[in-house]
Amino acid sequence: MKRKVGLLLLFLSAVSTGFLPAYNGQGAGNAFAAGAEEKGDAIALTETEWKAPDQMAAQIRAAEEVPFVGKVKEECLCVRQQRLRDKGLSTKDITHRYFLLDSPLIRKEEDQYGPVRFMHSKHAAVLKDCALCHHYRPVDPEAPETTRCSACHQESFQEEYPERIGLKAAYHLQCTKCHKDMQEGPVGCTGCHKKNVPDHEKLVQLPEKPEPTQVTEECLRCHQKAGEDMLSSAHWLWKGHSPYTMERRKEVLHGKGTTVINNF
Amino acid sequence: MTEHSPCPVQAKFWTPGVVLLAFLTGCGAVAAAARFIGGIGYVSHLSTARPWGLWIGVDVASGVALAAGGFSTAALAHIFGRHQYEPVVRPALLTAMLGYTFVVLGLLVDIGRSWAIWKPVFNWNLNSVLFEVAMCVMIYLHVLYIEFIPIVAEQFKGKVRIPGPLSALNPLIEKLLTVADAVLDKIMWIFIIAGVVLSCMHQSSLGSLMLIAPTKLHPLWYTPILPLLFLTSAFAVGYPMVVFETTVITSSLTLDSEMEILTPLTRITIFLLGLYMLLKIGDMLYRGSYVYLLDGNAQSNSFLAEMIFGVILPWCFLLSEKIRKSRRGLFITCAMIVGGVVLNRINVFLVGYRPPLTQTAYFPSIGEILVTVGLISCLMLVYRAAVTYLPILNASRKEVQV
Amino acid sequence: MNLTRRNFFRLAGAAGAAAAIKEKPAYAWQSKAPPDPYGCLVDLTRCIGCRKCEAACNRVNLLPPPDVSFDDQRVLDEKRRPDERTYTVINRYYSGKTDDRDQLIPTFVKVQCMHCQDPACVSACIVGALSKKENGAVHYDVSKCIGCRYCMVACPFEIPAYDYHNPLTPEVRKCTFCYERISEQGGRPGCAAICPVEAITFGKRSTLLQLAKDRIKKNPAVYTDRIYGEKEAGGTSWLYISAVPFEKTGFIPVPSEPLPKRSESIQHSLFSYLWSPIALYGILGGIMWTSGKKGAGEKQAPGGEK
Repeated sequence: MKRKVGLLLLFLSAVSTGFLPAYNGQGAGNAFAAGAEEKGDAIALTETEWKAPDQMAAQIRAAEEVPFVGKVKEECLCVRQQRLRDKGLSTKDITHRYFLLDSPLIRKEEDQYGPVRFMHSKHAAVLKDCALCHHYRPVDPEAPETTRCSACHQESFQEEYPERIGLKAAYHLQCTKCHKDMQEGPVGCTGCHKKNVPDHEKLVQLPEKPEPTQVTEECLRCHQKAGEDMLSSAHWLWKGHSPYTMERRKEVLHGKGTTVINNF
Repeated sequence: MTEHSPCPVQAKFWTPGVVLLAFLTGCGAVAAAARFIGGIGYVSHLSTARPWGLWIGVDVASGVALAAGGFSTAALAHIFGRHQYEPVVRPALLTAMLGYTFVVLGLLVDIGRSWAIWKPVFNWNLNSVLFEVAMCVMIYLHVLYIEFIPIVAEQFKGKVRIPGPLSALNPLIEKLLTVADAVLDKIMWIFIIAGVVLSCMHQSSLGSLMLIAPTKLHPLWYTPILPLLFLTSAFAVGYPMVVFETTVITSSLTLDSEMEILTPLTRITIFLLGLYMLLKIGDMLYRGSYVYLLDGNAQSNSFLAEMIFGVILPWCFLLSEKIRKSRRGLFITCAMIVGGVVLNRINVFLVGYRPPLTQTAYFPSIGEILVTVGLISCLMLVYRAAVTYLPILNASRKEVQV
Repeated sequence: MNLTRRNFFRLAGAAGAAAAIKEKPAYAWQSKAPPDPYGCLVDLTRCIGCRKCEAACNRVNLLPPPDVSFDDQRVLDEKRRPDERTYTVINRYYSGKTDDRDQLIPTFVKVQCMHCQDPACVSACIVGALSKKENGAVHYDVSKCIGCRYCMVACPFEIPAYDYHNPLTPEVRKCTFCYERISEQGGRPGCAAICPVEAITFGKRSTLLQLAKDRIKKNPAVYTDRIYGEKEAGGTSWLYISAVPFEKTGFIPVPSEPLPKRSESIQHSLFSYLWSPIALYGILGGIMWTSGKKGAGEKQAPGGEK
């Protein structure tokens, strides 16, 4: 009993801080909203869902298929930087400020994470050096000086171009290497990606008007570990490691585990 | 020599020793049952790094080595025509037959899919050393059974009396025995030679098994001549094993000591064991593996024990005429040789086997030990029963004279 | 005593004859490696230890769920080995190199079957349940297996694992190189397909070797000048390149001679066409015949030894 209510608390706090999929905006979050509120509201919410126009444009652009650039002009970074400078290319010439890195090439094998939202102009403004990312250009002199990643990086393991890495690896290697070198920007998975949480509308099985304990039980069905973790946390025990609390005392006089039996 | 011919032993069967053997056999049966209910992992300490343990090292490798008495005495008495050794041929044959039978039983426990043990007969991998060993052991086991038929025939020919509902089969079995005995008498030489050839093949190949794992077997044992060492050690252990078991049996059943055969038998061993010793020491010097001798770890100690107590010391003892003539001295010497060869097999398959990645120590579990002890006890029990019902051991001279 | 001596000379003569015949069938061992197999090149400088390959392997091979989730990075605190439920694992090593913030730089090493060109397990397998396929995979056929575990003894990389807790139908379990998947056009192993940084490059082994050499040549300061798997055990389908020396990241030295070479050479030179057993049989038969003739005369007066 104790444990179940503990998880309910955890769940509520997670939803309220936007940590759990309530933040997802697509179905899963609404399922929770429906569980907590009246159903009518939830339907109304999906109908009036608003999408930013640049997001729509980015989605369309991400889905585009680009002709593959086979041969690239191999040159060292300095030469490339110099040439871009000579041509006078700079952040002003940016055509797209925002990308959704969501090519169908990437989602071929798996779909565990949401697409990365890449702030092109922000990166350009900070770096002020196009050549850092646009490292090579097509050999074809007619081709534009810089092109999108997915022109050169498409399928992985192409027999004719064994060294050419696939799009997914290109993104990951380029982004994380730079983030690491610059000691700025995320390097972990969830720093850039939203983890694709499975649709809980289908997973959660609850009666019409569930009791709070039923909800907790249902959560624990899959998230047993989370429930156990909660029980060993200071949120549940009201005691534990909190080095940043001012005037903290080691002994606990009141509260759960001491004078109070009821959890509330 | 008519007064000294093989006949069934007339001693009391259920002695305390036999009861103990039966008890140990029961324990082994329980452990084996546990293996077939819970799996190999349930009773053993085998792992990914140590796929072969006590069952292969002792039940199979040592079992095959110690059964070498069968082919070496058969070769001596029948092929080289030394008929004065006839009295030890039958017990040695029985030991070999039972030994190989229990090698197969041990294998049935050890291999994961015991019911599939027939599959090598139809799926040949001619590159596999183990395939050759398996084929030889399989054929040799049959050869041993064929070699044993005359002994059975001698005892039961003309007196097959199966009671109860199966009595209808009596004339048929009678006929079969007579025919088999008559036919085998003519063609037995085929099987005797085949037995020796097959033994030479798989005794040596048993050593070749480890040639494929140069990174795993300790350099004290890993040598390209491992098959030759296995073969010569099998030659060397054959007669000492016969001495060992004959002495144990004749003293426990109070029969004649047979020393007048055993002493000359071990003269041959001086040469055979000497050859093995020379090869082993020469190989060690040639490959320079003596640098590991004083490492002080389990491997080096075990190697030293194997060489000193199992080969060099007993060889020196054998040189002494006095020891060879003394029953106790000869017994101890031969026991040391037998122990040395068993230790060699254990060293090659267990102690010296050190997978470089996972250096976890292996020690057999209670279950493994129980199965092994059970198998050996069962073997001794069957041996005891066989000598009770079949003409294998020589009756005491006095007894017959009375 | 004379007899013993005579027999000894006979034996010596027989051995000499056997040795003389032995010279004849000069058996030259030949590699049975497929000419153009697939392989994988693992670039340890790229691997970030995300364990996605472990998860993918588990999924595509329908393996049982792991004890600890594939997202849990704490399993990297200890060194693991592939087992009967896990065909591949990632291990983390610290070579002592530090970055500019004095943080130790980890090296992640993927461990799985190396799919040797001349696999010891294939040579060892008593029934031929293991076979090296044209596409490079070392394939296991459970229908032939008897469970002798000689493959596990033979494997220098200690890869094959066993269902020790299955009493009747245990299997040898190891990385399959996703044999069915790579047999299809454009198919690739689960781990290589999912790797987010393409630390695993899938392709023809010859291409990968060239690729590895190019990478080392282009970045001599980054890579150690060695391709693990190029020569190890006579060459393996899986290849590794690394920034830190291989000895520091759990790779063991393996002889460059194919492991089956020695045992197969000895076996075949001794037993091809069963020449040696037949020769021995003839020699022993001859001895038996001569001694039998003599024995008939001697039987009445058994003398000699005593």
